[in-house]
Amino acid sequence: MPELAIEVRSLSKRFGDFIAVDAVSFDVDRGRIFGFLGANGAGKSTTIRMLCGLLDPTSGTATVGGFDIRREPERVKCVIGYMSQKFSLYEDLTVAENIRFFGGAYGLSKKDLDQRARWVLEMAGLKGRERSLTRTLSVGWKQRLALGCAVLHEPRIVFLDEPTGGVDPASRRRFWELINDLSERGITVFVTTHYLDEAEYCNDIRLIHAGRIVAGGSPQELKTQVIRNPILEVEADRTVEAMEVLQKEPWVLETSIFGTSLHVSVGDEGEGRRLVLDRLGREGIAVRRVDRIIPSLEDVFIHKIEEHTKAGVAEEARS
Amino acid sequence: MKPFPLCCVRAVIVKEFRQIRRDALSLMFLVFLPGFMLLLFGYALNFDIKHIPLAVVDEDGSRASRDLVDKFRTTEYFDLKAVLPKTAAIDPILAREDVRAALVIPAQFADDLTAGRSPSVQVIVDGSNAMSGTTAAGYVGAILQSYSQRITLRGLARRGFTDVALPLATEVRVWYNPELRSAKFLVPGLMAFILMVIVTVSTAFSVVREKERGTMDQIRVSSIRPMELILGKIIPYVAISLGSAHLVLLLGEVLFGVGIRGSYPLLLLAMVLFVTGALGQGLLISTITRTQQVAFLLAVLTTMLPTFILSGFVFPLRNMPPVVQAVTYLVPGRYFLAALRAIILKGAGLGAIWNQLLFLAVFAVLSIGTSAVRLGKGEKERPRRRRRGGA
Amino acid sequence: MKAILSIIWKEFVQLRRDPRLFPVLFVSPILQLLLLGYAANLDVREIPSVVCDMDQSAASRDLLGRFVNSGYFTIRARVGRMEDIDPFLDNGKAAMAFVMPRGFGDKLAGGSQASVMIIADGAESQSATIGVNYATMIAGRYAQRVILDRFERIRGGGMKPVLVNAEVRVWYNPELRSRNFMVPGVFGLILMIMTMSLASMGIVREKEAGTMEQLIVTPIRPHQLIIGKLLPFVFIGLVEATFVLIIARGWFGVPIRGSVALLYVLCLAFMLNTLGFGLFISTISRTQQQAMFTTTFFIMPMMLLGGFVFPIENMPRFFQVVSHAVPTRYFFIIIRGIMLRGAGWPELWDQAASLAGLGVLILALSVLRFHKKLD
Repeated sequence: MPELAIEVRSLSKRFGDFIAVDAVSFDVDRGRIFGFLGANGAGKSTTIRMLCGLLDPTSGTATVGGFDIRREPERVKCVIGYMSQKFSLYEDLTVAENIRFFGGAYGLSKKDLDQRARWVLEMAGLKGRERSLTRTLSVGWKQRLALGCAVLHEPRIVFLDEPTGGVDPASRRRFWELINDLSERGITVFVTTHYLDEAEYCNDIRLIHAGRIVAGGSPQELKTQVIRNPILEVEADRTVEAMEVLQKEPWVLETSIFGTSLHVSVGDEGEGRRLVLDRLGREGIAVRRVDRIIPSLEDVFIHKIEEHTKAGVAEEARS
Repeated sequence: MKPFPLCCVRAVIVKEFRQIRRDALSLMFLVFLPGFMLLLFGYALNFDIKHIPLAVVDEDGSRASRDLVDKFRTTEYFDLKAVLPKTAAIDPILAREDVRAALVIPAQFADDLTAGRSPSVQVIVDGSNAMSGTTAAGYVGAILQSYSQRITLRGLARRGFTDVALPLATEVRVWYNPELRSAKFLVPGLMAFILMVIVTVSTAFSVVREKERGTMDQIRVSSIRPMELILGKIIPYVAISLGSAHLVLLLGEVLFGVGIRGSYPLLLLAMVLFVTGALGQGLLISTITRTQQVAFLLAVLTTMLPTFILSGFVFPLRNMPPVVQAVTYLVPGRYFLAALRAIILKGAGLGAIWNQLLFLAVFAVLSIGTSAVRLGKGEKERPRRRRRGGA
Repeated sequence: MKAILSIIWKEFVQLRRDPRLFPVLFVSPILQLLLLGYAANLDVREIPSVVCDMDQSAASRDLLGRFVNSGYFTIRARVGRMEDIDPFLDNGKAAMAFVMPRGFGDKLAGGSQASVMIIADGAESQSATIGVNYATMIAGRYAQRVILDRFERIRGGGMKPVLVNAEVRVWYNPELRSRNFMVPGVFGLILMIMTMSLASMGIVREKEAGTMEQLIVTPIRPHQLIIGKLLPFVFIGLVEATFVLIIARGWFGVPIRGSVALLYVLCLAFMLNTLGFGLFISTISRTQQQAMFTTTFFIMPMMLLGGFVFPIENMPRFFQVVSHAVPTRYFFIIIRGIMLRGAGWPELWDQAASLAGLGVLILALSVLRFHKKLD
């Protein structure tokens, strides 16, 4: 098994005029949890589908598990597991029947299947629910079942496309425990998500926006190296109004709302703090707190997106 | 409390129209397929039975027998496919449906004729295809009869009786369809058949699709009443189906010369009632099935064969056994076709078809009413699926 | 192999789970057959007619009597004037009318030509044609009779009039029972509708539900997927065929004169076609709705252009050629041949070969189109 589980070189996918994935390149080391972060429609699912052999790339190459996705897609399928964004198991089959079916689809022998089935049921917490119709399970359980079916055949690489969509936080946490478990066994996990807190659990992240990779690295690297300018967290009344006011100021680089507070990116910390208090005071907006914070991944994300968008606009203006 | 009973219908209508517009394919199907089918089948099909493939065994080989064979060769009612040496050869080609009738002229044919005896010719007819079977026998009879008459008259003429006239002249008048062009018979039947199938299939998955996708919950949660939902769903489809029906009428007139002799408003009324009933049937199917697959099967099974066979399109209703005739009362195509024929071909007025219209109205009301009831009842089915797994 | 078995097993589990599917699959064909088997009665008899005898002579009553006693016509009314006929025909109470003009009897007796008028309601051109044919035949025979009578009066010449008689023998269905004609036809149609719909919808449903995605990400090969999906439908088709045959034979008394084994084999060949078409439809449809429309689009021509009710030789040349691509064309001939005529391989080999050939072609085309890809 090569050190690089997944190698991607300039992979692109075009649907008519629309470029869904624009020349992305990256590598995924064996046994790592690799996160693909982006908004809906950024190109995450399309990338995953190409890597799984579900879609043909328009251009570029990729190897998954050592096999080329274009030339040997069927061999790729033997070594990967896949969990799609939309629940794709059979709702009118029971839990046990779904497991049995996919076991058969992967060609597992009866003995192996029994053993794996027990493992999956245990892992997903579905022991005792084998006879339940899949349709009757709540979302959290369905996701765990889907994960279980994806790893029935003990693949080396697992692709999870937004696996925790629509799931409550407790279930999400549990799900990530499962992912960690897989990773500890040496399985490479490729996961896409738009939840930034989940990105923190990954070893390696790529930020994707409008089909292009705009940033990459470990969470720690991203948080410390991307944003140079200090970020101030401002707690004030009339947050929205405050943001509108500050946005217009030339010394404000970026603003965004986080919950009930405002994140303001400025050139200098001390200067920025003074200016904020001053400006908002002139509007009669009371400020309760101004603190410098370490940028969160969300800050990084937004910063990078805006940067990318501005670059795109400039490019268009030039052409 | 709702402002007035049917206020929300408009909202549903607007939504359905929007959905329909976005689903261009379905729209194309509903609007153009009926016209296309009429085009196709109007040209392909006819009720005239001609060119019946025929085989002849001429055991006589005389000039008289060859003369007779010629009569069968030149008529358009038969297609002389094979002249066989002996009768044993008939079986296999009849079994293969290469021919559907066979003529056997016996060896003494010419002798019998000259001797003044009446010879017999054997006509073998394939009964398994009952439609052409009876007709073929009839044609043969007619051809032989005219042949006999000619021989007789020729014989008389040779003896100098040249002024023997045919004693009987039969004047045949066919009303409403003077040239007995089967297009005038075919087109109304096709129209009823095609519209019934396509309209019912179009609506058969309207509700089921929402059930399958889960958007049904959204609708149940709103304050829309079942009848409003149904009217809202049906009205756009009625409008579109009427458009389609008019296209079919137009094609029927332009391409096949089947024009409207009677009152157009009456025809419109019949069409509205019929289309509404068909939509109601589709909707009803939609409410009693859980998957689109079953809805489709049911829609197809309850419209295709029944309408084709039990509406009076091809097989005359009059001849069916009483039990079957009773069942035809359940086939809306039957009433529509009767009304269509009366209006289009006979120019009949309300007096002639009021009962057909009544039945159509009853059918429409029943199908839509039952759908509404079932939609309302659907509320009670929900609790069963609430067995949550818990988080 | 295991993959195929898994898929087949899954299909059956799913079929069993849908409570409505079962009755639709197995009960409705039976119902249809029971109903429709009796429906077609193509012997046109007892055509309601109106009689208008303006002559009232022995001769006119004689001829009218022949019409009445033939059994083909039932007299609904006797009227004295032609105008009185109109309402009966307008309202559909009568389909034909016979009019004897004044002077009928005298003309006949005087040796000149008499005329009789036959009026038919062309709105039902089917019955009208047949009715007119009957009436013309009866009139023709009557005319022969008159010729004979006159001839006897003329005497001399030593010539006897000639009548070529037709001895009609009806093979395979001597009493011309229409159910013998209908049942094989309905059998073919039901089989076609069921299997084609199941095949087209069965695959598209998985596409729509998203489960197809999960399927194609496994190492299952396309041919395994197709075989696994279609084999259950073959089984269902054969079971339905068996039900239909049992009813045809046991209830309707339609004979099965040929080899049942051959019948089943050729049903399989037929299903190659219907399933092939279904598969093809599923490769060009993204939603079940599209699949339904396309399936309907294919079913209707197969129903009408296959030679079941409308003979192919009566169609314009173009459609005759096109009908070679319609599998029902071959199947109807095969079914009628085996059931009613006891035909076997020697008679039907070319139909069977065409059927099988067409099926293989369609299946191959569909398989080529079927990729394990999402777009």
